[in-house]
Order: sequence, then C-alpha cells, then structure tokens
Amino acid sequence: MLADDPVALLDGRLDVLGAPSSGTGNTVEDLLSDVLDTVLGLMAADTAAVLLLDPSGRFLVAAAARGLEAEVRQGARVALGTGFAGRVAAQRRSIVVDEVSPSTVVNPVLIAAGVRALVGVPLLAGPELLGVLHVGARGERRFDDADAALLQAAADRVAPALRIRARQADRVAAQALHRSLWPAALPAVPGLDLAARYVPAGAGGASGDWYDVLTVPTGAVWLVMGDVAGHGLPAAVAMGRLRSALRAYALETDDPAELLRRLDRQVRHFDPGVMATVLCAVVDPSCGRMSLSSAGHPPPVVTVGSGPAATVEVPADLPLGVGGERPRRTASLLLTRGATVCLYTDGLVERRGRSLDDGLGILRRTLRSGPAEEVCAAVMAALVGDVAADDDIAVLVARRTPGGARPEDLVLDAPATPPSLQPLRQATRMWLADARVDRRRAADVLLAVGEALANAVEHAYGPRRGGVALRMRAEESGIVAEVRDTGRWRAPRGQRRGRGLTLLDALSDEVRIDRTDDGTTVVLRWNVPDRSGR
Amino acid sequence: MTTATVTPLGTADGVCTLAVAGEVDLANAAEVEDRILDHTANDLVGVVLDLDGLDYLDSTGLRLLFTLAARLEISQIGLELVVTAGSPVRRALEITGMTRMVSLRPPGEPGPT
Repeated sequence: MLADDPVALLDGRLDVLGAPSSGTGNTVEDLLSDVLDTVLGLMAADTAAVLLLDPSGRFLVAAAARGLEAEVRQGARVALGTGFAGRVAAQRRSIVVDEVSPSTVVNPVLIAAGVRALVGVPLLAGPELLGVLHVGARGERRFDDADAALLQAAADRVAPALRIRARQADRVAAQALHRSLWPAALPAVPGLDLAARYVPAGAGGASGDWYDVLTVPTGAVWLVMGDVAGHGLPAAVAMGRLRSALRAYALETDDPAELLRRLDRQVRHFDPGVMATVLCAVVDPSCGRMSLSSAGHPPPVVTVGSGPAATVEVPADLPLGVGGERPRRTASLLLTRGATVCLYTDGLVERRGRSLDDGLGILRRTLRSGPAEEVCAAVMAALVGDVAADDDIAVLVARRTPGGARPEDLVLDAPATPPSLQPLRQATRMWLADARVDRRRAADVLLAVGEALANAVEHAYGPRRGGVALRMRAEESGIVAEVRDTGRWRAPRGQRRGRGLTLLDALSDEVRIDRTDDGTTVVLRWNVPDRSGR
Repeated sequence: MTTATVTPLGTADGVCTLAVAGEVDLANAAEVEDRILDHTANDLVGVVLDLDGLDYLDSTGLRLLFTLAARLEISQIGLELVVTAGSPVRRALEITGMTRMVSLRPPGEPGPT
C-alpha cells in the first residue's frame, strides 16, 4: 500500500538517480530500469513503461517496461497525439484513464495485459520533450490527481539525468561511428605516396568531416575530401551515408563531376536537409592525369617538383544538397613525377583571428614536394601549431612518386578467392609502370604473376579459406615476384589442366616453387639488365 | 572484379563472329564460356572469336578456349581466333600450343571463305 509520505519517499529513492552518473549503471537503459522499479513499488501499480521520442520527433517508441515487456519487444510505436501516451506527449500534461478500452488506448499490448487504469506524465527536461512515463493497474486500483502529481515528480527528477545520458550515448555513438568510417589505413597505391590527418574540434565531438582514398578496378585512384554541415550524431550518420554512396558511384563513373551530380541527386532525394561540400579527384597513377570537381569545397593546393605551390583552379560548383540540377564541371591537371597535392577541409586554413586567404597563403608556402608523411606533418605544424582546433581538420596529401629511383616493394595480402585476382593484377600493373618495365616484359610479368596467384586460389586450400600474399621487388639485376600461400597445392585436377606451370616457365627467366608444410611460395625472376635507360 | 564482354558481331554464311573484350581469369571464365555458348547455335559452320579487345587471358581462359575448340570439333564447327601478332594474348596462346589446334589471324584480315 502507499507509504505515508510518498513524495518524501520518492525524493529519497530518486535523488540517487538524479545525479548524472550514479544509479546502478551508466546507460539510459540502466536509469530507466531503476525508475520503473521505483515507481512500480511506490505507486502500488502493476505495470510501468517509458516511451521515448524518436529522432524524427513524431513517434514515441517503447524503451523500457515492467509488466508490459511485450511492448518493448514488439518495438511499440505511437504517433504523437494518438492513443494514451501520444496524447500525454502532445499535450505535455498528465492524463488519467479509468477504463482502458480501444477508444482510449491504441496499443493492443496494454489491453492484452489486462491493464484497466492508467496514469501517464510527460518526461520534460526544461522545454524539451523526451518521452512519456506511465503506470497502470490491472485490478480495482484507480489513479487520481495525487498519483499524477507523484508520478510527475518522479518524471521531473529523472528527466535531466536521462537527457544527459542520452546525449552522452549520442556522443559516444557519433565518435564510434566516425571512427569506424575513417579509413583504418590508407590503401597502398603503387605510384602514389599518401598521408592523412584528422583532428576533431577541441570539444572532442565528432562532426561530418571525412576523407577517403579508394582504388577501383580500372586502376584509377579516387581522392575524396568532404565536410557535412552540422555536428554530432546526425552529421556523422549523414557522412556515413554519403561516403557509402560515393564509393558505389566511384565504381560506375570515371568523371568526378558526374559522380558529384549523382551524389547530389542521392542526397536531395534520400537525405533532404543535409548539406555537404565535397572535393572529388581521380588520378591515374601510371600517367599522373588528375581530374577533379568541387561541390563548394575549398580548392586543393599543388606543387610540381621544386616550384612554389599553387591553388588548383577548380570551378566552384554548388555544395551537395542545395538547389536543383545545375551542370557540374571537371577540371584536370597533370601530376608530374614528384608533384604533391594537398586536399583539406576549411578547419585547416580557417580559424579565429586568421582569414581564409591568410591560411591558404601559409599552406601554399608550406607545401613542398617530399615524402607525404613529412609534408603532412609540416602542414599541420605550420597551420595548427599548438592551438586547439575550433573546427574539425582533415588533411590528405598525395605525392606522385618521383621517377628514377627504384619503386618500393609492392606488398599485398588478399583472400585466396577469384575476386581477389583482378585487383592484385591491377596493383601489379601499376607497380610495373612505376618500375618502368617496358611493355612487352611487363605483359609477361603480369601474366606470370597472375598465373601464380590463380594457382594459389585454385589449388592451395580446397574448400578451406586462406590468403595469398604477393611481393614485387625491383633489384639491381632484375625483378622478383613472390607469391605465397599457406596451403598445400594439390595436383591439377580435371581435363586440360597444368598449363599454368607451362606459362610460368615460358614467361619468366627463373621459376622456383618452394613447397613446405607451411605453404607454397612461387618465386619468379626476370633479369632486366638496365631499367634506367627505358 | 574481373569483367569481360561477349558481343555478337553478326553471322554470315553460317559463321558467327563474337568479340570477347576485357579480362578473363578464374573469377569469370565460367561466365564467359556460358555467354560464348549462348551464341553458338548447332547449325553454325564456324565460330570466330575476335580477341583483339582482350587485355588479359590466363590459363583458366586458355582452358576455356581449348575446351571450346574440342567441343566445336565434335560438332564439326570450325573455330578461328582473331588476335594481334605480338600481343600478350597471342603470346599466351603460342606458349601453350593453342596455335596448333585452331587457326589464328590478325585483325582486319579476312578469314577463309
């Protein structure tokens, strides 16, 4: 039965919950669970439930319940203004129902649970509606205004803590989402030396800045720098969608303006209200041709070899998500060997007490041709220094590797499956161009390496899964390719097989196949007496 | 992903010409074979595969060609390949002895009538 002074008792019980990081646990769910147990006991009720306003602000969704667990399991949703909870939310005041029936309640779970009387109150944190708290009774118990006041007192105690925890959860989710969407490591791209930095704004939240580097089957490499307007979880979610859509379109077109046109249409249709600036560039690392298009994004800065850096002249077309279909334009430039290009978000060049033009000037004076990691570090030192950023900063530096020197080893790992073959060959093709191997020899190397890779895929593992590793190395005396798997080759099977080894023999100057218990390594060698002259 | 296209260029005097372009390896050889066979009707006298647009052909692709040649031989349908002299595909065909099994001619040269 009811305690003598329920409000005082409530205070005692809920003060613990009121503190943002106390209670039995730290999550929204822990808090709600504590609240429901408390009101259930204090009010001698049979059921209790919390419905929270969803991000659209138009629906209440069951978040926690006692005696009505099905409500949560079924993901009950009530539109604002309809049903019992919907009316409580829309009117922002307590409502008491003495006889539960389909005319007063829309949720069949309440009726099925045999609830006959209800009292519900809004969960308000200041002017902000968070949701609805209601309790119900199955038997003869009816609720009156005093019950409503008690429940409202409980709701008012809990709402601020609920809001703080929900925001913490959002911030953690935004950061986790953001982290998961950033490239864990930049892809190894033969012919390009890449480095990147991302620094979140001082507040430590996550926003909608992103960069991406993607290789596509044609051998082209897309460099992307984008900035979704806004902060927090909504911006991070919008950024995630944009990034995925952009990746899909990058497989379908080789024209940055066309890609941005499609992306813009996608944003305006599926994510109205989202606005983003994006700079999209596509590079052919073998010849250095770069095409780029800008959706309202600051232009990249480029330096060719020793000369001073310059801002790339990219026509500034509209950001994504604003206006209708307008033609988008593509600019192009040639990245000569050693040329270095820097893509960035406005957080790098713009800051309090410094104009964008001044920032750009510093960037142009700082950018030089050199190893991408060093250039990236120099750019961050010159433009950020030790001042905490007031906006997110993303920087991507790409240098076309200088000619003459021997290329770095190409080291790749892939699952030993047929779809891996084409990308591995593509990387090999790029590396051979970088190593300046002449065309005819390059074709031989490509086919022999492709054969060795296909052998590993076809013969090494059987139905078991495994990987295949490729290493290409340029030496003084020639080129060495190593294809390694950790399986045991079985004998060729089926009719008309065994041509792969014939090809390996005929195409290379030396073939060695090392079979051990740990796997098989195919080592292929080509003697190239003098590559520098070609 | 490895991609290849098989395009019928027309049939004249019972000889069907198909252009195979792109790349053929383990990932798509079966699919390419199916598409070639789709265009290989039983009443044909000969099949010409124009491989001029083919950038990559490994032993899986060669196996496809050998199998196809053998099948067509049983059906008494001739097979001819169009490949540029000195191209990587031609080289792979030569190394594996394909040239002894089917006739090859460079693009632009009319076939035997």
